[in-house]
Amino acid sequence: MDVTEKSAPIRIDVKDLRKSFGAFAALDGVSFTVQPGELLALLGPSGSGKTTLLRAIAGLSPAEQGTIHFNDEDATTLSLRERRVGFVFQHYALFRHMTVFDNIAFGLRVRPRRERPAESEITQRARRLLEFVQLGGLEKRFPAQLSGGQRQRVALARALAIEPNLLLLDEPFGALDAKVRKELRAWLKDVHRETGLTTLFVTHDQEEALELADRVVIMRNGRIEQIGTPSEVYEEPATPFVCEFLGNVSKFDCTIRDGEAEVAGSLFPVGEENGLNGPGVAYVRPHEFEIVIDEHGEGLPATVKSVRPFGPTVSVELVLAGRDGPIEIAVPRELIGLGDVQPHRVVHIRATAARIFAAG
Amino acid sequence: MFWLGLIVLIPLAGIFTRAASLGLSDFFTILVDPRILEALKLSFGGALIGALINTLVGPVVAWVLVRYEFYGRGIVDAVIDLPFALPTAVAGLALAALYAPNGWLGAPLADAGIKVLFTPLGVIIALTFIGLPFVVRTLQPVLADLEPEIEEAAATLGASRWQTIRKILLPALLPTLLTGFALAFARAVGEYGSVIFIAGNLPYKSEIAPLLIIIKLEEFNYPAATAIAAIMLVMSFLILLIVNLLQGWARRRTGYAG
Amino acid sequence: MQFISTSPRLANVSEPLTVRFLLLGLTLVYLLAMLVLPLGVIFVEAFRKGYETYAASLLTDDSIAAIQLTLLVAAIAVPANVVFGLAASWSIAKYDFKGKSFLITLIDLPFSVSPVVAGLIYVLMFGAQGYLGPYLQAHHIQIIFAVPGIVLATIFVTFPFVARQLIPLMQAQGSDDEEAALSLGASGLRTFFSVTLPNVRWALLYGVLLCNARAMGEFGAVSIVSGHIRGKTNTMPLHVEILYNEYNFVAAFAVASLLAFLALVTLGLKSALEWRYGGELAVSRGH
Repeated sequence: MDVTEKSAPIRIDVKDLRKSFGAFAALDGVSFTVQPGELLALLGPSGSGKTTLLRAIAGLSPAEQGTIHFNDEDATTLSLRERRVGFVFQHYALFRHMTVFDNIAFGLRVRPRRERPAESEITQRARRLLEFVQLGGLEKRFPAQLSGGQRQRVALARALAIEPNLLLLDEPFGALDAKVRKELRAWLKDVHRETGLTTLFVTHDQEEALELADRVVIMRNGRIEQIGTPSEVYEEPATPFVCEFLGNVSKFDCTIRDGEAEVAGSLFPVGEENGLNGPGVAYVRPHEFEIVIDEHGEGLPATVKSVRPFGPTVSVELVLAGRDGPIEIAVPRELIGLGDVQPHRVVHIRATAARIFAAG
Repeated sequence: MFWLGLIVLIPLAGIFTRAASLGLSDFFTILVDPRILEALKLSFGGALIGALINTLVGPVVAWVLVRYEFYGRGIVDAVIDLPFALPTAVAGLALAALYAPNGWLGAPLADAGIKVLFTPLGVIIALTFIGLPFVVRTLQPVLADLEPEIEEAAATLGASRWQTIRKILLPALLPTLLTGFALAFARAVGEYGSVIFIAGNLPYKSEIAPLLIIIKLEEFNYPAATAIAAIMLVMSFLILLIVNLLQGWARRRTGYAG
Repeated sequence: MQFISTSPRLANVSEPLTVRFLLLGLTLVYLLAMLVLPLGVIFVEAFRKGYETYAASLLTDDSIAAIQLTLLVAAIAVPANVVFGLAASWSIAKYDFKGKSFLITLIDLPFSVSPVVAGLIYVLMFGAQGYLGPYLQAHHIQIIFAVPGIVLATIFVTFPFVARQLIPLMQAQGSDDEEAALSLGASGLRTFFSVTLPNVRWALLYGVLLCNARAMGEFGAVSIVSGHIRGKTNTMPLHVEILYNEYNFVAAFAVASLLAFLALVTLGLKSALEWRYGGELAVSRGH
């Protein structure tokens, strides 16, 4: 569907962006490139600078240093109007005194007279956008009469109405409940596909980022920790922080010796970049453990705390000697005789994969 | 609660029973007295103009106080309440001295051919003076609570600052502005102390209705005093009712609470 | 920091610097002309003939009597309204009863009634030709043109100040604390003094401050009921008027300067309270 009537999507080049609020460095030298038509997620905990970065790209709060280019044009010299950025705010920021229709038409109606489309064309375009966001028939409603999900759609339609160069969304699903959130996620993916716009969205939900985005930018303390496709950042996290942030890992202390480290009963090679000798930390995901029911004592002894045999994998909580808090592992249902893995029994486990970093 | 009734309700009912006991024809004979009509016109007209001036200036003052940071903002903010805190007689005395032909402001105005003291203009100035804090104080918290994202959204959609103010902020503030207007107006209609000094109280010219009540009382003309009071209460009530309806309409129309 | 900047959260979308300067300038000039100059003129006029004339005009018998009467009226009206205000807000906030919103409207009434009309009400009630006039005369009780009338009128016009501060705060706080105290075995009175009162003390102080300023400065209502008897029923604001009408300007401005000083102290304390206990008072603000 042709809703934006646009030329080719643009590339965004961000170089060495810096901004501080008092002593706090919100952006501390951020550089990356967004490919034309890419759907990019900015992921990080609160205070990591991801929203500041999005607002700097939009031109809402300029950075103190660094450059932003849209294709080859220096965006920092452009006014907000000239940037033509479709921005969707976390709490939608709809104009409450305007109908849904007027909200969507606003961006067209405030254009200088010679650039402004005729009212009939504005009407037509707003109608088309309403259909596009599946809100046909609701144009006379006021925002207060809509559900959260509907408001979000209006906000998006309003942003698309100005035929933006790029689309920026700040925590687009943050204010919605879990069910609507899932629906809108799939819908946003469709919207992106159909508009073909270069799109950035901010989220603190790693699942959302990994599921939706072409690439994910993981941020911490105003810096980029890693950029990569969802599988890259998940499978090959660049830093311990990325490992921990992407969720559900067990952390082990280990010692790296001669390019090897022993983690949870297995020996793994360690890349040179992490140092050949010295203390290290290792991260293992739940599905990267196996249970050894062998009596020879291979692997780490662990006491079963609880078993949750629901779904295709069985989630087992184990207590390891000398370790605070239980670890969680996931094993395929068919790989274990459930009778052997029961609370209070001692089993042996072994890691099948691990990400190892030099400590410190 | 007995006290409350005694102090507030019974006396008020008293005015109306008194006025009612006059009988309609007597009541109207009193009210068509040109002197009384002029006084009522001045009180309501002056209050209206004063409240309108404050409705225009108040938002600018509130805007500056909420949105801009500058040295001395705290003091400027405190000064807004001066008309609340200054006894009305003192304010009246001060305004009279200020706008006297030899006063700080009266002298330059007199040079320009504008006479303030003992004219309706003086009445309007006094009524503007006492109404200002009502508008500013009503607007301030609402202005401070507006989400900045609304303005940012308008800006990203390409609206100029002026378009944002006109099409987004003003509609959002409209119900509150009406509230401020109503409060300033209600206060100004009944105002006495701050007006009488600067007004000079020339019959048919700069005599306000509350003063006429006092004059009638001093003449022991209780029916006339009561009739003026009753008509003032009714008219104030009607105007406030209209503003209230307008406000309800604006609030429904705009989705903003005022 | 620059001389003028926008609040940080809006730094991105704001008016051009020139517009900001213009608006700030206009505001400051307007406020200077409308609010500050009148205040200044009082003190300048009061001291126009020097400090000694100023002191002398304050120390006349009539002026002293006016000051004493004003203090007396405030000393009766303010505590009375504290009691009424506490009682009214207590019953509105802690109990449900029919006509509650009517009562709240009623409490605001003195704000919307012209002070002159308020005074008239009392004349109609207690005056010689009033409803209770004959009875009062028969018993030789004088209310109008006497101190009791002044006190009553002052109570009327200052009634809302304390209650308006307390009602929203008490409503917001609910009765949980009181119920907890009662369930722990505290008596009703004890609960009031050790739980309710401390919870609202700053709002109460704020209300008292405003109430007092108005009580000492009330003019219209008092003007009607006082009868302007020098040395007997003349409060400070009334005295200002009399002196002014007698062309005794220095004395008029001298007495006015005392009242203006009171207003400044009130403003200062009020700002201090708002600054220190802003959150607590915010509940009660907003007309």
